[in-house]
Amino acid sequence: MRIYKAAGFAWTSDIAGAAIFAWGLASALEARLAGGTMAVMASGCALMMLGGLLRLASQVGAQVLGFDEGRLLAQARRAELFPRLLALAGPSGPALGATATLGIDHIAAEQARAARFDPVRQSATSAPLLVAAIVALQSWVAALILLATLIPFVIGMIFAGGAARQAADRQMAAITALSALYVDRIRHLPIIRHFAAEDRIARAAGRAAQDVAARTIAVLRAAFISSAVLEFFAALSVALVAVYCGFSLLGLLPFPAIEVLNYRSALFVLVLAPEFYLPMRRLAAAYHEKQLGEAAEKALADLPQPSQRPARAASVLLRGVIVEWPGHRIGPVSLELGAQGLVCITGPTGSGKTSLLAAIAGQVAPSKGAIATLPAEAIAWAGQVPLLLPTTLGDNLRLGKPEADDAAVTVAVSAVGLDALVARRAEGLNTAIDHHGAWLSGGERRRLGLARALIADRALLLADEPTADLDSASAERIIALLTSEARQRAIIVATHDERLVAAADTVIAL
Amino acid sequence: MLAFMAALAAGIGGLVLLAVSGWFLTGAALAAGSGAAAIAAFNYLIPSAAIRGLAVLRTAARYGERLWSHEAALQALAELRGTLFTRLAHADSRNAPDLASGDASAKLIGDIAALEDLVVRRPGIPAAAGTVLAGLAAVALAGWLAALTYIAVIVLLLALLAVLPQRLSTAPAAEAAAATAALRRMLVDYAAARSEIITYGLAPRVTALLVAEADRIDTAQRRLARIEAAGGGLLIAGSALAAAATLLASTASTPITALAVLAASASVEAVAAIARTASREAAVAEGIARLRVLLALPAFEAPSPAVTAVPPDAAQTVGLGTATFAPGSRIALTGESGSGKTRVLEALAGMRVPAHDLTLDGRPLAMLPAAAIRTQVAIAPQEPMLLAGSVADNLRLARPGIDAEAMERALRTAQLWERIARMPQGLDTVLSEDGGVLSGGERKRLAIARALLAERPWLLLDEPTEGLDAGTEEALVGALRNWLGVHGTGLIIASHRAAPLGLADVEVAVAAIPRAAG
Repeated sequence: MRIYKAAGFAWTSDIAGAAIFAWGLASALEARLAGGTMAVMASGCALMMLGGLLRLASQVGAQVLGFDEGRLLAQARRAELFPRLLALAGPSGPALGATATLGIDHIAAEQARAARFDPVRQSATSAPLLVAAIVALQSWVAALILLATLIPFVIGMIFAGGAARQAADRQMAAITALSALYVDRIRHLPIIRHFAAEDRIARAAGRAAQDVAARTIAVLRAAFISSAVLEFFAALSVALVAVYCGFSLLGLLPFPAIEVLNYRSALFVLVLAPEFYLPMRRLAAAYHEKQLGEAAEKALADLPQPSQRPARAASVLLRGVIVEWPGHRIGPVSLELGAQGLVCITGPTGSGKTSLLAAIAGQVAPSKGAIATLPAEAIAWAGQVPLLLPTTLGDNLRLGKPEADDAAVTVAVSAVGLDALVARRAEGLNTAIDHHGAWLSGGERRRLGLARALIADRALLLADEPTADLDSASAERIIALLTSEARQRAIIVATHDERLVAAADTVIAL
Repeated sequence: MLAFMAALAAGIGGLVLLAVSGWFLTGAALAAGSGAAAIAAFNYLIPSAAIRGLAVLRTAARYGERLWSHEAALQALAELRGTLFTRLAHADSRNAPDLASGDASAKLIGDIAALEDLVVRRPGIPAAAGTVLAGLAAVALAGWLAALTYIAVIVLLLALLAVLPQRLSTAPAAEAAAATAALRRMLVDYAAARSEIITYGLAPRVTALLVAEADRIDTAQRRLARIEAAGGGLLIAGSALAAAATLLASTASTPITALAVLAASASVEAVAAIARTASREAAVAEGIARLRVLLALPAFEAPSPAVTAVPPDAAQTVGLGTATFAPGSRIALTGESGSGKTRVLEALAGMRVPAHDLTLDGRPLAMLPAAAIRTQVAIAPQEPMLLAGSVADNLRLARPGIDAEAMERALRTAQLWERIARMPQGLDTVLSEDGGVLSGGERKRLAIARALLAERPWLLLDEPTEGLDAGTEEALVGALRNWLGVHGTGLIIASHRAAPLGLADVEVAVAAIPRAAG
């Protein structure tokens, strides 16, 4: 990424402003001490203001650049993740809610880490050294003092910081688990109340919350030790520099003076000293972003890859196919379907009808057995909640075959019984649709999906519950349509509609 | 209080450390310039000891502040979670806020977590104000003019930081929230149509739509980031301004001026805590408003009476429309799918507002308190509604004091014992969210076992044999018939399969039950 690291440099450049401010302050106070003119003091004050403005520019710049770096990362991630999320059909794909979490919250967490933590971390190594170098120009002993406090600081951080990091990670895991428990219990409150178990469940939930709180406090004790180490050395470095400079000015050092320090240098060094640990304090402040970002990165990395499409064939052939995912198992299913015929996959909700349909479409790899199926270009799919893109009704119908002519569209629309709906709209097929299909009912949307599959005019038609959400008459009409279409192409439907099952040539019961 | 004191000590400690150091250095320089006698007279021991002492104090105070503010927040929040949950749990399912969707409940948890942030910060505000006052006191040593300019700078910064960012960010924050909600809906909608997207090769087109919406979020967020960054930048420039103004306005000696200037510069940092909390308060206000809906639920007073097994003579009649059924009756609800069978069962279970004319013991169901309904019916709902926990936890939900033997009997009746006994952890097998390791049919049967264990006069079964092969279905129906006979339990069943319907003696068409008035 091109502008990567610019934010880190901007954070480091903050030191320049700090140095100018310190120099202005030291000069102005020196002028005052020496009884200098107002003009000298004013120029010192002007330098202080300049330093302040430069710091403003650096910090605003660093945060804005940091945001842009995070945005670039997020854009790259989305370009890769969105198609992958859309390609994960069937049980191996994340659930709908989880898809949104991955696509929004996890990317946002990574984005925040790139925007807030990474630049600060980058500057945390160079900025303190830069401060020490600037201090050394005025007093190399003071610079040495600063650097010397760094050694016990690093040792302290290795001990306290390591423990704190583990503690912080554990704490996050505990809090996540507690939230999951509450979400689960709240979702199931109706059944909990039904069994009059609310007291027992509420007591247990309250105990779990208290437990986690108590454990979190214990864990935080450790975590805060590491920030105390940081605070201590930050304060100690200022104190040591102040005492050294004061005694040096007084000529009371317990060792022979190794450098001559004037008031201005001493004050400059003192004012700049707190900047030495500031980058590390910023780093500590952004640690939470790092944690969340890492957890998100791991979750995104754990996302499965889309399965390979099975061998291309002229017709559908399943031999002993078993589709498995944790806690579930479909099959074994065997099926041979030529160029025509209606196959019904039937079974209760949750038995894997849709997943088997996706396996037949070549979108889900079986764990056992062999599948041969048509290439994707020869398959049409009419889903439970058909896709609606924010364009016109006509375009939505033509998603499977953009070049389809109006006649084909009209025929399909009346075949599924949507002609009255189209006629009711003033704009007809040019009526605009938003992606949640505000003015379409569930049954109309389902029939739109079926019409789209017919317009696509493919050799194999897969339909998921084509008659659900429909009144009796409409359902009969769809069943008649499917049986007549089955004379021209191969059709496989997943359904628990007994009338449709009765019309099938072959039934697969799950 | 402890957290506040510690925060104050930490803030003032940091300020005084730098200020005293500046005063000490200047004093030392002055003494050095005035010759050996002045050096001998200059008391360097007290300030140098103070400087080191302050370093330690500041560290200890920060540690205390963090620990105590988190301790208070975490305990308060744990209590709030408990209280909210208890109130929510004791509400009536028929009119309680609907949080059944994962999204709604997750949002509730998120709101509570956002509150935690606020509670952690709260002791910081008075402490920050205290730090600013300490800064003012130090600056006042440099004369009233310096104090006035310092006050002017602080007031200006507070006005700019507490008001402006909030005002400027209202529009982009709303835009970012709207775009995020839209993207979430799109992702869910499009993910539901994955198979269609793959088949028609629409992934590039859909990705472009998603990316465009995500860009809208980023654009709004970028404006927010700039506003936040500008706030931080203003603060650092304000700190320089406060220092410069104090220096120019000072009428005191140079050592005192050095003290005042460094105190002015360092104390401005505390304004950030005030400003940041002010802007966060606005962000969590919406969450708090949502929580208020729950806090408005009646306070929970006494534990609801535990429902134990109901003696047969306490069994009541059930009325479906005009027909009244004596305890022990076995009724099949009939009707096409979508005709409202599930609705009737859930209403009888007290889980939903009845849409039909239903009575218990001759009294309309809608008039009865939930506690009265509960003593009579136990449901195995269509969607099994299993809790995350072990198999035993789920069975224990039915009634307190169920032992392993009772669980085994119920699981045997539900034709699930063999499966559970085969699992290495047996009854302690942990089910993940929504029953994870069990198949759809097995989850259903666990819900049946749970309903049996409640031992209430009426058993409600909604599609009990879905997902079963014929053999298991036959065994389950046989075992249930036996169980109903032994316990004299009444049955109301909805199913589209012949075998379980055979359990019933009488059929009631849902369409024939009059709709409830209103």
